[in-house]
Amino acid sequence: MSDQNIFDKLQNIDRRVFYWVLFITLMVPFVRPIGLPVKVVQNTRDLYLGITGDNVKPGDIVIMNFGYGVSAWSECAPGFTVCAKALLREGARIVFMGSQYDVELSFNKLKNDAKADFATKEYGVDYVFLGYFTGGESAIAQLATDAWTVYPADHYRTSVSDIPMMQDFHGWQDITLVLSSDTGDVGSYFLRQWQAAHGTKLAEIGIAMNGSTDYPYYLAGNYFGLSIGSRGGAELEVLIGEPGEATTAMDSINASHLLIVLAVIVANVGYLLSRRQA
Amino acid sequence: MSNILKREVVFALTGVVTVLMFVEYFFFPQDWIVTSTIRTWAVIIYNISLGLGGIRLIQQHIMGTQRRRENWQFSALFLVAFVIMFLTGMWGYLGTGVATNNGIYSWLFNNVYTPLGSTAYAITGFYIFSAAYRAFRARNLDAALMLIAGCFVILSNAPVGEVIWSGIPVIGEWFRFVGQVPGMRVFGVVGALGMIAYGFRALLGKERGFYAGGAEE
Amino acid sequence: MAYPTAILDVIGLWTGWVLMLMIYSYPLYKENVAYRFAEHIFVAIFLAINLVVNFTYLMNTCVTPLLGGNLLMVVPLILGILIYTMLIPEYRWVSRYPIALLVGAGFGLGIRGAIKPSILDAIVSTITAPSAGGMMDWVNFLYIAVGLVSSMLYFLLTYEHTGLLQPPTRIGRLFIMIGLGAYFGNTVLFRFTMLTGRAQFFLQVLKIIPM
Repeated sequence: MSDQNIFDKLQNIDRRVFYWVLFITLMVPFVRPIGLPVKVVQNTRDLYLGITGDNVKPGDIVIMNFGYGVSAWSECAPGFTVCAKALLREGARIVFMGSQYDVELSFNKLKNDAKADFATKEYGVDYVFLGYFTGGESAIAQLATDAWTVYPADHYRTSVSDIPMMQDFHGWQDITLVLSSDTGDVGSYFLRQWQAAHGTKLAEIGIAMNGSTDYPYYLAGNYFGLSIGSRGGAELEVLIGEPGEATTAMDSINASHLLIVLAVIVANVGYLLSRRQA
Repeated sequence: MSNILKREVVFALTGVVTVLMFVEYFFFPQDWIVTSTIRTWAVIIYNISLGLGGIRLIQQHIMGTQRRRENWQFSALFLVAFVIMFLTGMWGYLGTGVATNNGIYSWLFNNVYTPLGSTAYAITGFYIFSAAYRAFRARNLDAALMLIAGCFVILSNAPVGEVIWSGIPVIGEWFRFVGQVPGMRVFGVVGALGMIAYGFRALLGKERGFYAGGAEE
Repeated sequence: MAYPTAILDVIGLWTGWVLMLMIYSYPLYKENVAYRFAEHIFVAIFLAINLVVNFTYLMNTCVTPLLGGNLLMVVPLILGILIYTMLIPEYRWVSRYPIALLVGAGFGLGIRGAIKPSILDAIVSTITAPSAGGMMDWVNFLYIAVGLVSSMLYFLLTYEHTGLLQPPTRIGRLFIMIGLGAYFGNTVLFRFTMLTGRAQFFLQVLKIIPM
């Protein structure tokens, strides 16, 4: 009888108590880190293998799409950074672009996080930042046909005809692979207009929710690899051997995930007990 | 004649553009200048149209401030913040070609927009927690399956799941990499079929919702 | 990134911290003036950035080529401006033309691109039996095959789900529920990761943890 009263009281607790408990639970592991090992799953391993070794040769041109904004930095940026580092170390030439208004901030963060790798590279020769684009699926389709019409100039307003690297990039046939990091639809535009239409190799470094919808495409071979959320970012950091933001965040993720599962279990135990009593 | 210009010609234009995209895909392995030009135009039109929502919002706040509606002070604040950000950004762009070269714009971009943007979207984390506690109940078999799959995926996403029980990552990964596949794949298939059906209805002029004032005239 | 030392950067850091707490005052306390203040600032700045960035892109892709001699660029410029007739009730119908172009291009590209990955490749992947592998691979293959067929039957809305259709559609619904449960699990990771970033920022600004 008294156990059910406790569960009844828990059912009616003010939601703000939950919010405070959650917020504090998220902070504690940063102060007292634990550092549990992160196991790498096959889809992340395939992504990493697909951008390293024999799969990418020096001079290959790769598109990396910032499909995420500042709100999803903790989810997408770590994995994106690892992939950029890996590609730069393989000698690939990278075209950075993005559909978010704050794409410049994301690019600056990437350059800061991969400072050592960018230090040995020359802008316009080894990498180029084309900046913001809009136009949805039409823009991505047109990028495959004639990239210079979507980007007549880079983010810094240098005409693409004056950028050495861009002389070798006019359309889909010049691109070895595409890595898209998405909170929304741009990855699916690349899937339809690049991978399905021209067979371009494509991988996704997406938010965890996209991991659910994109996994069937990975199984079907449309994506050669898939990094799912911050967990995928932590796995990529394990693969490259450089723990970073995602690995640091895993402790907090551990605590918060444990908390929500406990909350769901407690709520359901209370519910089942009250149903039995009724 | 007027009605033809307002309806039939519009539907015909949609149909022609759609058919041209199909023709390019199936009959032109190389680039076709016609569709390439249409796509370039679509990108530019899309770009220009993004200002429409902004204009509406600014109109609302101007009216709210002029008419001293409830909380008009916030509308005034909105307009002031917008004008400062817009003018400094345009000043930076027109002066140097890059908006963030303006110090004020850059400072606001980095120190106001970035934390607010991250914070505003992250607020949903609180709500999902309280929603999971209050609403996620195993009322029947469907809900129970959803609950079990959800909990195993949550615990397998976090490394702590393996510490609690070695079976959690095994079962969780099965749910993530096999269990959810039929459910998620069917959304892709059905979504694509629905898009095709909707597209043909739009070609035939039966879907008018996306044309401004489509229900009228 | 190290803790900033320049005075403007430090002020900026603390400004972001205070604005974050203003936003979080809503869930953690209740709706209040501080939250409204921060919310309006955010929307205003976001809108301004939207317009500046899009204007920049328009200049790059349309106006600069137009001024450089590509006279054809006047067509999308005019069509784009015609969209704004949506704001004038008596001329609203004019905006249907640029929308028609956008919709036509969108449908054409979407439909032609969706057939292969979303339908053909999905079906091939589902019906392709494992070439090698143990019992579990075959169980998984049958699970996915039966699951997809029964889930698709569930979305068959032309007929009522009674009689012969009832068992497979019921099973299909269960498969969908499992998928949605896993989707919820991934949603939790996404939402909590964003919140984790904010919790980390909260502590970093206070110098409780290093930046």
